[in-house]
Amino acid sequence: MGHHVGIVGVGQTHHSRRRTDVSQAGLVREAVNRALADAKLTMADIDTVVVASGPVLFAAVNHPEKWVVDAIGAQGKSVVRVTSGGGAGFAGALSGYYQVAGGYSQRTLVVAYDKLSEGQLQYSISTLYDPFWGREFAVGIMGFSAAYWRARMDVLGHTEEAAAMVAAKNRKNAIANPYAHIKKEVSVEDVLNSKELCWPIKLLDVPPISDGAAAIVLANEKVAAQSTDRPAWIQGIAYCCEADNAAERSLLLSEPLALASKHVYRAAGITNPRRQFDVVEVQEPYSCFELSYYESLGLCPPGQAAELIASGATQLDGDIPVNPSGGCMGANPIGAVGLIRLIEAATQVMGRNESHQIKDAKLALVQSGGGWANLRGCAVLSA
Amino acid sequence: MFAAPETYPIDLATFHSEISMPYKLTPGRAAGTFLAEIKHRRIVGSRFASGRIVAPAQDFSAIDGEEFASFVEAPHTGVLTGFTRVDGQAIGLICLDGCDNAFPHKLLADLDALHVGMRVAAQWDADEGVQTSILAIKGFAPAPDAPMGQVSPLEVTEAPIEVIPYSMTLEYEHAYGPYYGRMFDEIRDHGRVMGVRTSGGDDALLPPRETDDITHKRTGTWKACADTGTIRACSIINMAFLGQTREPPYVYAEIVLDGASTRLVHMIEIDDIETAKLTIKPGTRVRAIWTKGERKGSLSDIECFEVID
Repeated sequence: MGHHVGIVGVGQTHHSRRRTDVSQAGLVREAVNRALADAKLTMADIDTVVVASGPVLFAAVNHPEKWVVDAIGAQGKSVVRVTSGGGAGFAGALSGYYQVAGGYSQRTLVVAYDKLSEGQLQYSISTLYDPFWGREFAVGIMGFSAAYWRARMDVLGHTEEAAAMVAAKNRKNAIANPYAHIKKEVSVEDVLNSKELCWPIKLLDVPPISDGAAAIVLANEKVAAQSTDRPAWIQGIAYCCEADNAAERSLLLSEPLALASKHVYRAAGITNPRRQFDVVEVQEPYSCFELSYYESLGLCPPGQAAELIASGATQLDGDIPVNPSGGCMGANPIGAVGLIRLIEAATQVMGRNESHQIKDAKLALVQSGGGWANLRGCAVLSA
Repeated sequence: MFAAPETYPIDLATFHSEISMPYKLTPGRAAGTFLAEIKHRRIVGSRFASGRIVAPAQDFSAIDGEEFASFVEAPHTGVLTGFTRVDGQAIGLICLDGCDNAFPHKLLADLDALHVGMRVAAQWDADEGVQTSILAIKGFAPAPDAPMGQVSPLEVTEAPIEVIPYSMTLEYEHAYGPYYGRMFDEIRDHGRVMGVRTSGGDDALLPPRETDDITHKRTGTWKACADTGTIRACSIINMAFLGQTREPPYVYAEIVLDGASTRLVHMIEIDDIETAKLTIKPGTRVRAIWTKGERKGSLSDIECFEVID
């Protein structure tokens, strides 16, 4: 790639269950204004814009980028919309990264959002199933996720207790996150005793449903210094897919994430992720996913995720803290989440994270994903 | 030379599906205020610092993204800047007097009575169902003698309407294609589930497809799978949600039929959750229960699966 790409400004809304005081476009504008101010820029300094959001069915607005462009004053600029389910925000960042790295733009604004209070979440997500083959039995993505967690329990030992530890950790971390809207400490027992929704997934394994937006400004090495003397440099970023219903696909390990991390680690010179990374931010749509990501990201070998969480290593004071921001458990505006994870990791290596700054964090790992299990990505950020 | 392949469309039966959902849309402050005031037969617009006036009110300028400075009341008269007819209804773009934009609305006249540049005036609808909608204006009628209206300041307004209930129903006619078509024909006519073999093996891919996902080669010949199989993954559904086709609790199951190599998504009826946790798990053997009624050629011709004791 031609240019180095850094995150030089970030902004997110105070996420909430329901923002009835602003339209979708107004919500996006809040995050954009914050990111531009953070980067000491105005819209005039931005060459290109990427708008990322979840499926149109979430909020019944087709071509939402048309609204968004008007509301953020980006008329006349190069604009693309990117959508990739839960990975929309991350895929948007990847699209922006290509534009800056390839020299098409010096500065790209990436904004991602969802306003989930407006539509029907599970029903909308269920439409990712083949209309001929399984959609009528779909339970959003929760039924599917719970089913393969159940399968991983037997083979990889991802127990209900281990996932409950993830939920308790992230919910506790979210308390200090100024942008989170669920801030309540729960115990492992609370999680285990919470209502079964799609067993083994229980109520407290599930993040909230949120309205929220996030934005970042990406800049190349020539102009980054105009915004900050400490950008978060993207050392590698990838987003991979695998066949949806192919033979030989067990869904026990996240194969696309393993592929993406292999690619990104090579680009960033990572040979021992557990030792090298100072902090990790993952997108955990349910607590059980974080366990699976530990393994596919190489933080531990397959089958040892339950031990890793039990050891305390991924807690704030552990050697590899995962989700100091609280992850999705604090707020989950789905289309924005991939970008929020990037922001939380970027501010860590910039030394100004607002939830829990990990001391001397220099190297951060970010994971995000969309689809059901078949679209997964990760990125490495450095100071 | 490029030779066009000799293919041609064939008109075949389609699979009908419908997505129907309620929404709670958020108009934001400006549009929300417009909607709150419309019942007073007042058209609220926004004034921007640049002096530009837009009606109906908008939060942000479409010119430069600037936030509006204050509300104004726009007059009920304006000029027609363009028009067409859709399903017998004339639709026009109306620029209200003193405003800088045009917006679409119904025209209460037919095409031959309309011309661009003509004066029009709002006609109001008293129907209670439309009093928080732009349809409180029934439409705009020709008003050649209407005096020029004035935009006036609007200091006090009602609180904006924050949530607008909405619903959307989308109907689809999906094409089966040759592979799905044969599979569902076999289910309907013979009560059997057929897939196609992988490019190099005997196990069937379900649903059948033209290309093997692993080898990217053409798939093999057709094969009937058994209606018994093994659970690969399952979860116990104990929540209700819109669009659900079964009453909870039940088991969501991904099943590999005997003779197949890929999963089929279906459900298993259960009596109670605690028993199901112990008896239904990955590896459990199951059998399809076919409908007693007429088979229609879809996965729901299998009513559910049951555990083989």
